Amino acid sequence: MSQKPKIKDLLNESACAHNKTKKVACNAPTPGATTGGCAFEGAQISLFPYADAAHLVHGPMTCIGSSWETRATQTDWPGRDLTQMGFTTDINLNDVVFSGEEKLRDAIDYIMANYAPQAVFVYSTCVTAMIGDDLDLICKQAAEKHGVPMVPVHAPGFVGSKNLGSRLGGEAALRHLIGTREPETTTPFDINLIGEYNVTGDMWQYAHLLDELGIRVLATLSGNGRIADIRCAHRAKLNVIVCAKSLISLTRKMQEQYGILSISLSFYGKRDTSNGLLAIATALGDADLLKRTKQLIVREEALLDEKLKPYRRVFAGKKAVLNTGGNKTWSIAAALQDLGIEVVATAVKKATEDDREKARQVLGEDGVLMMNPGAEQARLIDERGAHLLLAGGRSLYTAIKKGIAFADVNQEKKKSYGGYSGLLNLAEDLKNSLENPVFKLVARRAPWQK
Amino acid sequence: MAEVIHKRVKPLQVNPFKLSQPMGATLAFMGVDNCMPLMHGAQGCTSLTKVFFTRHFCEPIAIQTTAVTDALAVLDGGDYSIVESVKNICKKVTPSLIGLHTTGLPETKGDDIAGVAKKVDFPLVYVNTPDYEGGFESGWALTCKAMIEQLVAPATRVNDNKLVLLPHVSLQPIEVEKIKDFIESFGFNVLALPDLSSSLDGHLGEKQAALSSGGIAVEEIKALGDAGLVISVGDSMQASAGALQKKNPLMRHQHFSHLQGLEATDALAELLLAETGFSGPPLMLARWRQRLQDAMLDSHFSLGQTRFLVVAEPDQIAAICQALYDVGGKVTVAISSVDSPQLEKIRAKKVLVGDLEDAEQLAADYDLIIGNFHCEALAHRLHKGLVLRGFPNWEQVGNPLKNDLLYEGGAYFLFECANAATLMRAHLAAS
Repeated sequence: MSQKPKIKDLLNESACAHNKTKKVACNAPTPGATTGGCAFEGAQISLFPYADAAHLVHGPMTCIGSSWETRATQTDWPGRDLTQMGFTTDINLNDVVFSGEEKLRDAIDYIMANYAPQAVFVYSTCVTAMIGDDLDLICKQAAEKHGVPMVPVHAPGFVGSKNLGSRLGGEAALRHLIGTREPETTTPFDINLIGEYNVTGDMWQYAHLLDELGIRVLATLSGNGRIADIRCAHRAKLNVIVCAKSLISLTRKMQEQYGILSISLSFYGKRDTSNGLLAIATALGDADLLKRTKQLIVREEALLDEKLKPYRRVFAGKKAVLNTGGNKTWSIAAALQDLGIEVVATAVKKATEDDREKARQVLGEDGVLMMNPGAEQARLIDERGAHLLLAGGRSLYTAIKKGIAFADVNQEKKKSYGGYSGLLNLAEDLKNSLENPVFKLVARRAPWQK
Repeated sequence: MAEVIHKRVKPLQVNPFKLSQPMGATLAFMGVDNCMPLMHGAQGCTSLTKVFFTRHFCEPIAIQTTAVTDALAVLDGGDYSIVESVKNICKKVTPSLIGLHTTGLPETKGDDIAGVAKKVDFPLVYVNTPDYEGGFESGWALTCKAMIEQLVAPATRVNDNKLVLLPHVSLQPIEVEKIKDFIESFGFNVLALPDLSSSLDGHLGEKQAALSSGGIAVEEIKALGDAGLVISVGDSMQASAGALQKKNPLMRHQHFSHLQGLEATDALAELLLAETGFSGPPLMLARWRQRLQDAMLDSHFSLGQTRFLVVAEPDQIAAICQALYDVGGKVTVAISSVDSPQLEKIRAKKVLVGDLEDAEQLAADYDLIIGNFHCEALAHRLHKGLVLRGFPNWEQVGNPLKNDLLYEGGAYFLFECANAATLMRAHLAAS
């Protein structure tokens, strides 16, 4: 039987509230009117942060040549951070005609001999999927030869969007890693963090709070993750989905196979961080833990409120437009509201139905949910008189041309905005941006212009 | 001269700096005014390319994808996704040209893009750029050649005042502008193909462009056939010059492997003097030549005791290595992204086609690295000096305005390298 995940099954996710009403994939691409990454990129995102594993891309140069060392995902793995390395078979015409299997085999051997990773993820791409290289067989043989997991990741770009790719990445971890090892010890408060990629160290903004409460992060998928840990993930008491819903299939299957409950939350902003901690404590079902969590929240919120005081004056009356995807569509909106900023619009194009509903709740009746943010955001900035745009780097120029302040809240961001302390980073960056005289100065007319 | 290793010996690339053919093609189309590059393949290739160039140039990048998905990947000949893409693009914007270029996916299944292009009733240039062949430099060059072949009208007369410049992929926008200025100062009317100097030079435009703004106009490309002289820069551009000459056998061609360093710049000046019959260059060029001579002497102390690693596209390696060689800099290792006949001519002790893992293994051989942003981690780990050049450079701003060419840029380039080398030695002495 084929080891490949069934794409159709993944598209038809029963845990998605809206799956009864939709017949096609979420975010199906339109030729000539599409932005956003492919399935390969999505799979990369969900698995890349394992710094102790090698990530070998079996394909031509575009897939990894332009995209390695791009994600500021952080790790405290003491060995060489393999996430920040690029491995690719860089297949050529000869491989396309005569198969790239031998090259792939040799490449795995080379990586094992020179970098001794805890596992190798082998990503198929459009071309190697089309020519039919047998990743499953090669990975199986290599795993036997080298004695570490070799994980085939079947997410060639042409199967669909980034979101689907993340699911396929989760699927690969489920099939080949989770449940293949037993933890040395377990605690009643063992959780897995799912969909937290520790971009700019987001996870470390709240991990110490979990620690303090005695909640142990058994495994993560995959921020600051370890291969040995994710292999034990089936022994956790709770799965905590931290980012978008792309890994919901994984958590549903873990519930079916191992009886692990899952909850979904966000650690952006004050309210969401507090709600998130509470939700974890509640789900773990321990009265004492819940009490201690509430105490911790009171303490942390008071500390944060004190530190945020000087910013409130700067943010009073300020309006923001938010263009991002997934749960960030509402979680960052909530964080901005925590700072006293009015959120006039948020993008929901790359969000699930659940996230859209949540965005509506957070923004209220007057807030605009943008379905086509690329075209809408510039107009809304004018119409609503927004002072701030928070988006990914590609929208930076919308802000610049409009002469308003900008903050990067997507993958290329430089600082963490997660947890209580991350909100302070966000406040500081937004304050610096709003108070910068540059916007007025560059709008100045030249002496020769009337 | 050098030890040249043309073939890669490993079964993989580890820490590659090689970039793909489709990316080179995209960039070439960006040098055309009001153009929409359309990459034929799955959407990721386009998305990655868009992010890559946005970060490098700090500019909005217009590009679209045919977004091939699995059913289409197997069954369709590209017709649907290409025709549909053109339709959808035109719903939002009105490009003067659509630049259709392929990736590995449609090439593997064998899409006939020339056939589809004929069915599309819209100005379109198509080019086959599978990413399992060639690289960044060849993708750019193939696209330039395709634009010439498919757009330029044949001509039978020449205008001796009109000159076509064909720059290679590694020239930054300001460098293209400086070459144009240099030639124009002799009285020529210069048209560059592609021309990034006005499209990606980091200017603050009036509006947020959904298409490339600036660059050579499509009408100008169509009318290139009557130029009296074509100047190609970089060996990758020779074929494009040949294609242009086919449009008009009267057109003359002068080739420069690069325009970096005193001798190459002198050769260009000499050519232009001979063409115009001028007795001397414009005053400013003479002033900059003196400054470059002085810069060579001022920087030779530092550069003469420095061993270099240069990693880049072949045409850029040739240029950098010559500039360093002229002042005693020892390029002990040059690593090219792809194979090229150009490698034989490179002024370096050892030349190989490889990746940054190779660079790491040869670490004992050099002190200062000239290469792209990925070299930063390498330099940091190995305690080497660093001068950032090539694609991508995500950590620094100002890439479009980096100028290493001709007399003026040559002087700044030597100063930058010499200062970086001196600083590196100071750090080493202190540690």
